[in-house]
Amino acid sequence: MTRDVIEAELLRWMSEGAAARPDPERFERLALDLFAFQFKACAPYTRLCESLDRTPGRVRCVEEIPAVPTGAFKEFELRCFEAKSVVKTFRTSGTTLERRGELHLDTLAIYEASLLASLRCCLLPGLSKGGAAMHFLAPSPDEAPDSSLTHMFDVLRREEGASSSAFHLHEGHLTVEAFAEALGRAQREKTPSLIAGTSFAFVHFLDATRADPDRWRLPEGSRVMETGGFKGRSRSVPREALRQEIADRFGLIERDVVNQYGMTELGSQFYDSTLIDRTGPRRKLAPPWARVRLVDPESGRDVDPGETGMIVIHDLANSGSIAAIQTADLGRAVLDEQERTIGFDVLGREAGAEARGCSIATDAMLAASGRANR
Amino acid sequence: MSRLEIQWPDAAAERARAARGRLIRAGEGLRARSFEDRLASVARVLSEWTRADSVWRRELERALAATTPFSQGAIAEGLESALRAWEPGAFVECARREVGPGALGEARTLAPYAWTTVIAGGPIPMPTLLSALIPLVVGSPVLLRETEKDPITASVLRRSIAAQDPELAACCEPLAFPHDDAAAYEILLTAPCVVATGSDEALGAISARLGPTTRFVGYGHRFSIAILGPRLCEGDLLERAAEGLALDVARWDQMGCLSAVVVYLLGVDTALAEQIAESVSDALARLEDSMPRGSIETARAAQLASERAEARMRVATSGGRLLEGRGHTVVLEADAQARPAPLGRFLRLMPVSTHAELLERLTPFAGQLSSVAIAGLAEENSVPDPRSSGDLPLLSQLSHLGVSRITEPGRLQTPPVDWPHDGLPLFTPLARMLQRDAVRL
Repeated sequence: MTRDVIEAELLRWMSEGAAARPDPERFERLALDLFAFQFKACAPYTRLCESLDRTPGRVRCVEEIPAVPTGAFKEFELRCFEAKSVVKTFRTSGTTLERRGELHLDTLAIYEASLLASLRCCLLPGLSKGGAAMHFLAPSPDEAPDSSLTHMFDVLRREEGASSSAFHLHEGHLTVEAFAEALGRAQREKTPSLIAGTSFAFVHFLDATRADPDRWRLPEGSRVMETGGFKGRSRSVPREALRQEIADRFGLIERDVVNQYGMTELGSQFYDSTLIDRTGPRRKLAPPWARVRLVDPESGRDVDPGETGMIVIHDLANSGSIAAIQTADLGRAVLDEQERTIGFDVLGREAGAEARGCSIATDAMLAASGRANR
Repeated sequence: MSRLEIQWPDAAAERARAARGRLIRAGEGLRARSFEDRLASVARVLSEWTRADSVWRRELERALAATTPFSQGAIAEGLESALRAWEPGAFVECARREVGPGALGEARTLAPYAWTTVIAGGPIPMPTLLSALIPLVVGSPVLLRETEKDPITASVLRRSIAAQDPELAACCEPLAFPHDDAAAYEILLTAPCVVATGSDEALGAISARLGPTTRFVGYGHRFSIAILGPRLCEGDLLERAAEGLALDVARWDQMGCLSAVVVYLLGVDTALAEQIAESVSDALARLEDSMPRGSIETARAAQLASERAEARMRVATSGGRLLEGRGHTVVLEADAQARPAPLGRFLRLMPVSTHAELLERLTPFAGQLSSVAIAGLAEENSVPDPRSSGDLPLLSQLSHLGVSRITEPGRLQTPPVDWPHDGLPLFTPLARMLQRDAVRL
């Protein structure tokens, strides 16, 4: 099957929305077709699969498709098209001494269709198009053209946000007053607000507004999305505490604060369930075109439901790069009363991210934790 | 109506406060003893630990096997080899050389701190043992905060002191409390001298809470490397170096600052590089029976799996070798790019063609390097030339990068007892001195 045919079917699937019921057969078929295409089109991946003796002729199911570690995006150009066709490159964060991972795209169609479907499903329910002012605690596309997060926010602003939506991080500084004024206006006008940004930007905001913690009581329908860890930062905050603090500062309930699990190397993102399931357990949801597996790092086999495993993602939205990605993050399936998997939790994201990214150049040879000293 | 809130006193802080009081009182007795008396007593304790049939070592071995992730075989070998290298005589000589009356001269005397806090770090017992004994020689009693990763060593050490010299044992109080117990830390950090081992972030946090008059000695994160050269193909050098490196990697499962995490192959051709990789991997596999790798938590296993997967991909595309054993990984890289060290017996071998390239690769890690094992280097790299006024020879340049010890493979993790940890003397940083000029009264 050609890439065009695969992508046409993917776009149809994405147009059905991320809330569509999982379709394992459709996923399996498309994943194997995409693997066959990517095996042929991406030379480093070809060699990896051959070294493992897992070629399209031998691979029978998604679990057998070789996954590429996220770190490989730092060392190889993992794309299935010619360099001259690149229209966009997203890069992971990093210092000047450190290599940065790169996701190259020759089309934004699949990438944006995927991210919008997930956003509409998990972050925007109850909001009308253009009905919410969106505030992003992140740099604008002009300042960070290679940030996948900024791009996602910009697409969200363009497609769904009110005209007053804005970015509030300029040249590394949070424009607290402009943001505060915008929130005050939304409060007066009773317009719901959507606030999205990195966890650390929220920490900065919370610190900067600590003197007046009851200043905002955002209108009903308002919500917050935070993402990312604290790698290389001076202050870290436990995830639950941060969520509660954010909710308190904006006059929201904790379930109005949604965490996103995503990474530059992926076309799809995973959101907390709390805006679409107001009473069930908080867990991450995957769109139907992405499958999250939790594997034993030593055996490579899927762990039993409820056990901790390393997160491996098969993301069909990565049609132009590699769909099977092995992260160094840990996760655990969330089960319902009938012991069926209804989502997953990401465990120790900060620790995993730091170890994987070797966040500061001088740490490159050191483990993130656990070193003794002599 | 106002609400009365009663805070239950923090138990660990109360224990710390009580221990501080006892130590300050015991310290008077300690300082009343002569330097030689204190030194002799501490040396006897050390001798009890270093003798082959040491009951304390056996007890520690058993207890660590039950409470730490290391395997019993690895603990036994790690303790035995490290303590074998600790010569009590060298310890005594070092103390006399640095802070003994003969070294200070007639006009100076030691003015010991009233007490010293030692904050241990990491799961390896050796630094805890030594850092608790040194202040006692200087004349300062020790409040020893145990590391959460090793809740055993401090108490076994204290009992070993008590068996030799109960008065001296009263000057060493181990204390355990959670790392986030700020009230207990507050008491510990009132000591006039604080010695801490831990991550650079932890040391920064501790030093930020100390007053300007507090003496602070911090031992931060370091890593060690090996440099192998083309003469390794001579005689049995390769075999010996591989056996030694395997020990340097396997001991304490690579968790210490003295573990080799990278081997630079300086001017080594591809064929020899592959031989080295295979020999080291074979030697590591042989150690699996006698000193198997301990259990590793899932997060570290995920990091190891990730690094193995990345290496597999590089090897498939750019060359090199990936040698995976039951409990070890050896990667012969095709280049010398800096890459993470996931530990858990994961060793990278990286080719560098010249001495200049090696230094270029190491320069970003200046200050982070601890020790270097060398073997088989070409003559021009192995012998420092003090007459050279141009380029410094390799070993001198390593010292400029902060390397504090150069040794041979197999001895990285077993430094002599008087080794200058992080380039510092053993006793002097913990000592205070009084100068007495001739004065007319």
